[in-house]
Amino acid sequence: MTTVDRDSLELLEDGLRKTMLSCSGPDLDAALTELGWADMLTDMPDVAVPLVFRLLGETGSHASVLVDVVLHATGNTIGDTVELPLPYAGNSWVVWDRVSAETAEPTLGGLPLRREEEGYPIRVAEARVAVGWWLVGSARAMLALARQHALDRVQFGKPIAGFQAVRHRLAETLVAIEGAEATLTLPGSESPDLTSLLAKAAAGKAALTAAKHCQQILGGIGFTEEHDLHRHVKRVLVLDGLLGSSRELTKKAGAGLRARGSAPRLTHL
Amino acid sequence: MSELHEPAAFRAALQEWLAENDLTPPEDHSLESHIRQFARVQKALFEGDWGRYGWPEHVGGLGGPQILRAIVGEEVVGRRLVEPGPYSMIEVLTPTLIDYATPELAAEMVPKWLSGQEQWCQGFSEPGSGSDLASLTTRAVQDGDRWVINGQKVWTSFAQFSDRCILLTRTGEGHAGITAFFVDTDTPGITIRPLHTMHGVDEFCEVYFDDVVVDAGRMLGNPGDGWQLAMDLLPYERSTCFWQRIAYLYSRFDALIDEVKEQGQVVDSDMGEAYLALHTLRCRSRATQHRLADGHKLGPDTSIDKVLLAGAEQRLYDTVHDLLPGVIELDDTPWRTEYLYSRAATIYGGTAEVQRNIIARRLLDLGKE
Repeated sequence: MTTVDRDSLELLEDGLRKTMLSCSGPDLDAALTELGWADMLTDMPDVAVPLVFRLLGETGSHASVLVDVVLHATGNTIGDTVELPLPYAGNSWVVWDRVSAETAEPTLGGLPLRREEEGYPIRVAEARVAVGWWLVGSARAMLALARQHALDRVQFGKPIAGFQAVRHRLAETLVAIEGAEATLTLPGSESPDLTSLLAKAAAGKAALTAAKHCQQILGGIGFTEEHDLHRHVKRVLVLDGLLGSSRELTKKAGAGLRARGSAPRLTHL
Repeated sequence: MSELHEPAAFRAALQEWLAENDLTPPEDHSLESHIRQFARVQKALFEGDWGRYGWPEHVGGLGGPQILRAIVGEEVVGRRLVEPGPYSMIEVLTPTLIDYATPELAAEMVPKWLSGQEQWCQGFSEPGSGSDLASLTTRAVQDGDRWVINGQKVWTSFAQFSDRCILLTRTGEGHAGITAFFVDTDTPGITIRPLHTMHGVDEFCEVYFDDVVVDAGRMLGNPGDGWQLAMDLLPYERSTCFWQRIAYLYSRFDALIDEVKEQGQVVDSDMGEAYLALHTLRCRSRATQHRLADGHKLGPDTSIDKVLLAGAEQRLYDTVHDLLPGVIELDDTPWRTEYLYSRAATIYGGTAEVQRNIIARRLLDLGKE
C-alpha cells in the first residue's frame, strides 16, 4: 500500500466531497475519472475504497465505481462499460447501468440498477468491503441528521436530545456504526472471503439499525421529502441487498460454522 | 529489545511453552478451586516469565508492549486454564495500583499479585451507590498518620479470597471528596460475607468496615484523587481485560457449534447472528488494543466496547437457550450457570444504560439530560 500523508489525504477527502456534492451518476463518474480514480484504485485501494465509498454514503451521491472495484479485482480494465451482473438478495441479479443518466427501472432511491435474468459467479470480496463502507457512510449521514434534529427540536420546553429515550437510540446507532467500521478495517486476513462477508453483514445491519433509530428520532419531518433522511433510508435498503443482504450473509456465515465445526478467529493481536 | 517483544513471536513461543507445561485445571468446578487454579497458573506464568512481559521493570515486570499481556490472557483463558472472572482482576487492578501507589508500595505489592501469591479485590460499589458511584458514603477520617474507615461495600468480587482491596472512601464533599486506599483485608474491623447469587457461584461479597485503621502510606494518590482513579480504572476494565473474555466466549461458542451442528441448516441464522456479534466485538477490541499500543489514552470510547461485549455475550447465551431446548432448564451442565451469569453482563461494570449515557454525552456531544 502506498502511504499517503495526513495532509494530502485531507485535501483529497475535501476535493472528493465537494465533487460528490456537486454531481451524481455518470457526471460524477466522469469527475472521479478526472480526479484519478483509476490510479487511486490501482495504487492504493486500501485508502481509496474506504474513502470514496464512505463519502458516497455521507454525501448521498452515487457513481458506478463499484463496478470498477469488481473489474479491478478480476483483472479487467477499470472504466469498462461491460454489462456485469452483480448478485442481489433473493438469489437474483442486477446490472449497474454505467451509461444512462436516469434509470428506466424503478429501483428505490434512484440507483441505476435493473434486474437481470441470469448471472455467473464473480469475485465479490473487495466489492463487499466497498459497499460496506458505502453503508457505513450513509449510516453516519443519518446519525448526523438525527443528532442535529435532536438538538434543535424543542418539545416540553427543552431539546428532545435531553430525553434519555432519544439519547439511547442515538448511542445505539453509534455503537452499531463503530462496530461495523471495526469489521471493515480488519487488516489482511487468512480468509478474505469470510472477513468481507462478515464486514458487509455488519455494515448492512448497522445501516438498517441507523435507519430505524434515526427515522424514529426525526419523527414527522423525517417522513417528508423536505428532509434529506429519506434519501439515505432508501439508499441503505438498496445497498443492503446488493451482493447479498445482511440477513442472508449472516445465515451463510452460520452454515460455514456448521461445516467447519468451529469459529474462525480471523484476527490476532 | 527482546525478540519476544514482537507479538507474533511472543504468541508462538508462549504456545510452545503451554504445550510443554501442563496446567490443566482439576475436575473440581467450585469457586475455591477456580481461585486456587488461578494462583497456580499465575505462579507458573510468572516463574516462566510469561506473566512478567508487558509490565514495567520497576514492579517486577520485564517490560515490552502491553499487548503481550492481552496475548497471555487470550491463550490462558481461551484454553480454559483459568476462568475469565478471576483473571480479569489482574488487568483491572494492577495498572491502577501502578499509576496511583507510591513507587515503593507498587514495587512491593505488584509482584505478589502477579506471581499468584495474593488475590486482590476492588471495593467500589455500595448498597446505596451503584450507577451513581459518586454518592458513596463509606467514610475515612484522618487520625494523625492513620485513617479510620467505616461503612459498607457490596458486589466486591472475590473479596472472600482476597488479601488486599483497592477501596474508595469519602473524605469530603462531592467528586473531589473521594479518596482511595489500598487496604489489607485481614485488618481488624473488616467483615466479608459472600452473597448467594442466582447462578450459584458466590463471587460477589458484602464487605463491612468497622473502625478499620489504615496507615496514611496506603493512600492511593492524594486526598480527593479517588474519583479520577475510578475513571482511569474503567478503560483498563474495558480493554486488555476484554480480550481474554472474548477468547473465553469464542471457546464456549466452539462448544456450542459442536453441540448443534448435527441439527442442520435450521441453526444457521441464529448461529450466524451470534458469530457476527462476537466477530464485531473482537474486531472492535482489537482496534482498541492497537490504539492503546499506539499511545492513545482510552476514555469514553471504551463504553462502545462494553455495549458490544454485553450484547455479544447475551446473544451467545440466548442462542444456547434457543438451540439447545431444555438443556438450561432440565440438565445440570455448565450452560445453566453460564446462561444465568450472562444476564449480569448488561449490569456489572457500568450498566448498559450508564454506558449509553456516556456515549450520548461524551461521544455524541448531546449535552446534559
